[in-house]
Order: sequence, then structure tokens, then C-alpha cells
Amino acid sequence: MGIPRFLKKFFADPNFQRKKAFLKSLELFTDLDNSDLGHLVQSLHSRTYHPGEVLFVEGDIGRALFILESGRVELTRADNGGKERVIYTLEPGEFFGEMALLEQLPRTASARATEKSQLHLLYRSKLEGILHYYPKIGVSIMTHLAQILSARLRRMTNAAAPEERTKAANG
Amino acid sequence: MAEKRSFPFFPAFLIGGTVLYCAYRFNHALIPFLLSFALAYVVNPVVNNFETRGLRRDHIVLGFYSLIALCISLLANYLLPTVSGELAHLQEQAPVYFTNLQKLGADLQARVAHSLPYGRKAIESLSMKMYAPVIEQLQHVPGYLLGLFPLLSLLFLVPFITFFLLLDGASSISKGIQACPSRHVEQALHLISEIDTALGNYLRGIIIVALAIAAASFVGLSAMGVNYALAISVLSGISSFVPYLGAIIGALVGGLVAFFQFGTFAAAVKVVILFFGIRLADEALLQPIIAKHSVHLHPLIFLFSLMLGGEVFGFIGLVFAVPAACILKALLKVAWAWYSSEIQLNGPASYDSQGVPYT
Repeated sequence: MGIPRFLKKFFADPNFQRKKAFLKSLELFTDLDNSDLGHLVQSLHSRTYHPGEVLFVEGDIGRALFILESGRVELTRADNGGKERVIYTLEPGEFFGEMALLEQLPRTASARATEKSQLHLLYRSKLEGILHYYPKIGVSIMTHLAQILSARLRRMTNAAAPEERTKAANG
Repeated sequence: MAEKRSFPFFPAFLIGGTVLYCAYRFNHALIPFLLSFALAYVVNPVVNNFETRGLRRDHIVLGFYSLIALCISLLANYLLPTVSGELAHLQEQAPVYFTNLQKLGADLQARVAHSLPYGRKAIESLSMKMYAPVIEQLQHVPGYLLGLFPLLSLLFLVPFITFFLLLDGASSISKGIQACPSRHVEQALHLISEIDTALGNYLRGIIIVALAIAAASFVGLSAMGVNYALAISVLSGISSFVPYLGAIIGALVGGLVAFFQFGTFAAAVKVVILFFGIRLADEALLQPIIAKHSVHLHPLIFLFSLMLGGEVFGFIGLVFAVPAACILKALLKVAWAWYSSEIQLNGPASYDSQGVPYT
């Protein structure tokens, strides 16, 4: 017999449940169970960004992964003339800046909120804490991260391959 | 590319100096908040553990406080008769202890007078010199007891403040992050994470050590049949908040009680050996686990921070000297990490196999 619904409603934190449900929907955390997601929610920091607010600028040292729960964020890169060019617009449920979890190097693009946006930040040392205290969660996140990076690398390789073949055929 | 941002050393120095000056100037008002903050840090993982199951934080904190109140009321049923019994026993035995002491003094005097006839005057003069300050200090005892009343107020104030700190939990940090300029959020998180890790591990570590020392000394002293085992073990546990002091206080007070109780040096030596053993066990078993996850301080910095804390803030300075040094070290680590990453001191990682094509 489960806990009666009115008791669940009384004791359960709806905000915490909403965050867990949102994280569960992301491919990065798809393998995590209810308890793992609870630990993960406590490791994340949330912040609301208003339209026009800059999250980071190209060249800043990256230190956190950003997960977009609501709103819209655009990634821009400066071209040779120094003009900002939008390279991608992020929708809710997408994440970016994941390279900061692996190495502290300059960001390769700038990020700016174009709407009122709710973001969750996973800071590098928090992930290290998760890896240490909850290795199962840490390994799952790192495996998915590696798979995502591999998929991106494959896509880039495939995109570059036809051009190389054409060059080779033309001698 | 954006311009490189250097670490704001001057503002950091200015803010740090202001905080230190305010802490020095208003240290009496800060004490309950510092103690509550430390207590909240220790209890917070318990609350967090229940929160991960999706329970509401306010209910968890209320439940936790109710449980603690229940435990205290149950313990009071056991502790109050024990403590009052020990006090009554002390009142009853005090004349016996004084008689033992006088007898010992007389024995010593007789032995010295026998072998050193001219030393008698010197011993009498020394005894008078020793008795005079003791009698003078005894007159001040009511004043010392009255001085403990502000400490009693802390017993009510600290849990009260801790309650609100626990209720707020991470939301106060979130509010701070929300107020932080958007581009500096990552850096603010870096700072918070480093301090959180260093301080949390240290505080949880010293609480474990205090409980272990109190429990081990209570078992040891009870097995030896030493009076006031509970009071001595509690005193020893509390004193261990100041590193190395717990075992010293325990050995000193326990040794004196054992000496007066049994009237032999052997009994006192046994108690001293017990506390020496507890100290060794702490060093060999507990410290490796605690130190593994907490900030490592060089022994000289450790000693210097204790001396400085004691000199500037008194006893409370002794208690908080090491955590403060941990925070300072965490801040310096953050400043160095910021500086080295901004100037890309280490550069990107390079691997031998990075030239192999994607297959």
C-alpha cells in the first residue's frame, strides 16, 4: 500500500519534484533513478537570466555546464571583422558549455539570454564531488558526456569527409 | 575575443580587511551567529539527505527539531540525576579530597624536613605563596559562575538561529547568485564551492572527533571506576574543538580526580595513559579519514592561526582559528586557480594519440 495522495502532497516539495522531472527528461541524465536525481538537484545552482543578460563571453574561462529549463539563449561567435554572428539558438531542455566540466579553457562562443530564461548550472567541483561520493551518478554523466562528444566529432568528421574525397579525386 | 580579466586583488583585499575589522570590533555579537553557522553546516547533510527523497525542507527541519527535543527530554531523565548525583558526590567527597591533599603535603614536608632540615622554611614559604593566590581566586568564584550566564543564553540562541539557517538552506546561496552580475556567476560558484568543501569537511571532522573522544573517555574512565566520568568525558569532548586540547584537559582533570579519589600516583598515571591511547587512536584511525577530505594545513600555519586567534578573540578565537585558516586557504586556492586559468598557465591538455583520426 502506497502513501496516501494527500499525505504525499503535504510532505512532498513540488518545486523539487519539478526539477527532478525536468532533469530526467534530458539525455545526459536519462539513466539516473529517483534518488540519484535528488542528489543531482542538490548539486545544481539555478539562476534566472533576463533578456540581454550575458552568461559568458567568448574567451572567458569556462567553469560550469549550463542547462536551459525555460526561455531562449543564443550562442554567438565573432567573425574576422569582429562582428557577432549567431551560431545556434538553444531551446528548453538543451545544455551547453559542457567542455568546462572536462577542462578549464577559454569559451569558444558567447552566450546571451534573448528571453527571460531559467538555467541550472553544474559547477566542475560539484561534479567532482558527485564522482567521489556517488560514483554511479558521476560515471553515468561522464559516459553520456563522452557519447555526446563522440557523436559531435563523428558528425564533424562525416561533414568534412566528402570535401576531402573531392579534393583527392581532383588530384 | 574578450579582454582578459585579472583577479580583483584590491577589492578582495578591501572587502577581506573590512570583514576582519568588523569581526574584531563586533566579535561578541558575532559569536552566536558563528556557532549557529557551524552547527547548521554539520546538520545540513542530514536535512539534505531527506530532501533528496523529495520531502519539503520546512517539514524535515521541524521533524528534526522535534526529534532532537524528544531525545533531549529522554536524555535529561538520565543525565540530570547522573549530573546532580555527581555534584552531590563531589560536595560529599570534597573534605576527604582536601584531607588527602593536606596529608600528602604533610608527608612531603616531613620527608623533606628529614633529609633537608634547612629546606623546611623554604617549603613553608612556598606553601604560603601558593595558598595566597588560591584563596584570592576562591573569592572570585561567584563572579566566574555569573560570567557563565551569557554562555547559557547561547544554548537557546544558537538552536534558534540554526533553525532559520537550516530552513533557508541553499536558497540563501541562490539569492546571492541571483544578485551576482551575470558574467561573474561562474566565478562566484567557484568561490562558494571551494569554501563549502573546505569548511564542511573540517566542521564535520571535528564533530566526529569530539564525539569519539567523549565516548572513548567515558567508557575508559567508567571501566577504571573514576568518579565524574561523564563530566570529564564531556569536558574532554568539548575541549577537543581546540586541536590537541581535548586529550590534554581529559588527562589533567581525569588524572587529578583519580589521584584524589584513590590517593595514588598510579591511578593518575593510568588515566594519563588512557588519554594518551585515545589521542593515538584518534591520530591513527580518525584523522586519516577526516584529513583525506579536508583542507591540509601546514603545522606551523596551524599553530600560528591558533595563537593569533587566541590573542585577538580569546577562547572563541581558538575554536574558530583553524576553520578561518581553512577559509583563507580556500580563498587563496580560488585566487590562484583564477589567475592560472586566466593566463592559461597550464594550457590545454596534450595527448600522444590526439593525431589519430576519428574511427
